[in-house]
Amino acid sequence: MSGEAESLVVAKDLGKRYGDFIALHPLDVKVSAGEFFGVFGPNGAGKSTFIKLLTGQLRPSIGAVEVLGINAARDPQKLKANIGIVPESESPPSYLTPSEFLQFVGKLRGVDDIDAKVEHWIDWFGLGEKRDTMCKDLSKGQRQKVMLSSAFIHEPKLLFLDEPFANLDPIYQRKCREWLMDMVDNGGTIFLCSHVLEMAERMCNRMAIINNGKVLAAGTVSGLKESEKETLEDVFIRLVGHSIEEAERLSDESSSEEE
Amino acid sequence: MQSSKAGTNLNEPLTGWSAFSTTFKVMFIEEFRENLDFAKKRRILLFPLLVALVTMVATIGLQFLVGEGASQGADSISDAKTFSWDEMRLALHFPLLLFSLGMGSFAFLGRERILARTGTKNYLLASPALQPLTNPTAHFAYYMKDLSYYVLLILTPVISGMFVGITLEYFTDVSTPLEYSSLPITWIAMIVTLAQGLAFSFIASSMWLLGGWFSRITPVIVVIIGTILGLGLIDREFILWGLATQQPEGLALALPALLASIFIAWCASQLVRDDFEIKVTSKKEIFLPAYNRLKFLGKGPLRLLVAKEAVDLIRSGSLKKMIVSYSVPLVVLLMMAWLVDFAEAPIPINLLSYAPFLGFFGFNFYSWLTALDSPEHMNGLPLSVPQLIRAKVTVYFLATTWISVIFLCLMAWKLDEWAVLPVGLIVMIANSIYIVCLTAFLMGLSPNKAIFDAKIMTWFWIGTVLPLLSLFLLSFTQGDVSFYENWADQVQQEGLQAQAVDFDNERAAAGFKGILWVSVGLVAASVLLMKLLDRKWGRAEFNN
Repeated sequence: MSGEAESLVVAKDLGKRYGDFIALHPLDVKVSAGEFFGVFGPNGAGKSTFIKLLTGQLRPSIGAVEVLGINAARDPQKLKANIGIVPESESPPSYLTPSEFLQFVGKLRGVDDIDAKVEHWIDWFGLGEKRDTMCKDLSKGQRQKVMLSSAFIHEPKLLFLDEPFANLDPIYQRKCREWLMDMVDNGGTIFLCSHVLEMAERMCNRMAIINNGKVLAAGTVSGLKESEKETLEDVFIRLVGHSIEEAERLSDESSSEEE
Repeated sequence: MQSSKAGTNLNEPLTGWSAFSTTFKVMFIEEFRENLDFAKKRRILLFPLLVALVTMVATIGLQFLVGEGASQGADSISDAKTFSWDEMRLALHFPLLLFSLGMGSFAFLGRERILARTGTKNYLLASPALQPLTNPTAHFAYYMKDLSYYVLLILTPVISGMFVGITLEYFTDVSTPLEYSSLPITWIAMIVTLAQGLAFSFIASSMWLLGGWFSRITPVIVVIIGTILGLGLIDREFILWGLATQQPEGLALALPALLASIFIAWCASQLVRDDFEIKVTSKKEIFLPAYNRLKFLGKGPLRLLVAKEAVDLIRSGSLKKMIVSYSVPLVVLLMMAWLVDFAEAPIPINLLSYAPFLGFFGFNFYSWLTALDSPEHMNGLPLSVPQLIRAKVTVYFLATTWISVIFLCLMAWKLDEWAVLPVGLIVMIANSIYIVCLTAFLMGLSPNKAIFDAKIMTWFWIGTVLPLLSLFLLSFTQGDVSFYENWADQVQQEGLQAQAVDFDNERAAAGFKGILWVSVGLVAASVLLMKLLDRKWGRAEFNN
């Protein structure tokens, strides 16, 4: 997986294991400035582990990651100050209001003119009426908007998004999609994890498909298709289906050997 | 800002004092909101008032504990077998230390919150996982926040209550040996004890989480310190810095002791690693084996829920911690029994006097049980909150009764009162069930938040003090005692020269019946409270 322009994300031989369980097989990845890079795979494929390794939330078992020239394992705070992360299922702190939480993350990142930026993102996401409501009392979609705001508030050049549109209504899905596309057009870079293939077709320059912690294929969206007729869903099923069959076959073999 | 190799301007994350103060402020708001969320605003403001009221009453009652003639500061009656000022100070600081030790394991708390951050609730203590904030900074801010919060919500009301108690002297007939001049010193000394207890507990939890030999050495250090203190090898003041602060000429120690506590907490925070890993582990199936063992609970949801709670208890690794935490106050009670027996205190305390208190500590265990896991996933299941509460009460009873029985037997052995052990067991079990049923009824699935709700706590105190006091007083008619009748009058008039009176079998029999009837009443009240759960919590959401 490599990009041609200057790389903002460089992972070499990056892998993660928990005891005997391999969450992510060693892989190399490069994502260049101005790219919209997507990682797609079924549930439990290792997408979230991958994004956590790249953003310094997890330490790799082997290999190394550099993001924006910062070693993710060595200086995760500096990295987190300069990127935006939207995790798959994390909520903002339950007992703070959206406004308080955004003030907090803005201050941690040293954002200038923070009040105006908090106001901007609260308005942008239509959270004005919920400004003083504690996050625990917001709907899932509203909490997701707060998490997106917290990733956008310092206007990072690089975003890591894990299923970012989960729980968002179609209006805000489109609004966010357009904003992200504008960001990429203006030189920003996005690393996205999802199992929604439609997002790859609509947004990604390059993509990778992973399953069982292994990269099955990587390249441009059109490059992954064997023919013009083949849809991305066909590609996904072709690759992941084989992968699942292979995993089942290996599992059967090992259990028959044990017997 | 500096430039990366990709030409992007890089932000420097907030560090040091700026990161700490920013985090501290929002954590304080978070804590207040969390408590406010459970108790209504009026009630949470009533809590400090209630604390002040209780302290005021205690201040007035102080004369009976230290003797009316005792002037503060002088241990004029310390050689008599009543409480000296030194003992009173110890009675103030030692429980406060135990409380703060219990509340200060922030490294465990932080780890739990980081692991649970993908759940429905999230806390600032988990924010280092995503935000440019280190775990040490977040944990140190949490320590300072908790310290400030307890000072404002508990210690300051305590001092205010003492102030009102002394002031009443000028308007009423009551009197207290306490003096205004001692209040600032007491307040500062209590802050020192609180800061120290929280810091010690914090560093113990941080060292434990480091793993390896740190995990092994931590309990050894705790045992060594406890032994040294217990055997009196060094002065108590070396361990209890707040107590040292409150000694004559001790005030100069306050600032160094406070700074030392904060420094220990800072060291503890530095030991908390930026580890956000959620370990994926496979476990052997234990739910069905647990379910199968619970045949005596029938086939209904209670059996399923008790099995689930048992699995939570075992898998969370909390069982050992909870048993130790449940046993600590019982050890203190055992030591107290031994001390009272040893000191030949002029109070006719016997095994039956302790039995009700053994059951009292069920409150803590029940609180832990409710905090093991978020019950919100049950909102979509055909279950009700009362069913879960009943399951937790059952788990409490199954998990702790054997411990209380062991302690009561130890007490019977220590006091050489085997004859009253069967009745003691009845009293202990009745109280144990009743206290937990009362806690469960009043506080539902959120006892940790309910402690700041003045209304709930008032009912809790009424509900516990009345039966405890009646059993305590009735116990004076039993056992190997001479003072069973008007002992308070005798002691007040004669002090240690009070004479024993003849043993009255009729009175003893009546007292015995009284104890049994109160115990039966408590069991009946427990059954009633469990029945009333449906009315009180039947429509509540699963939420803790």
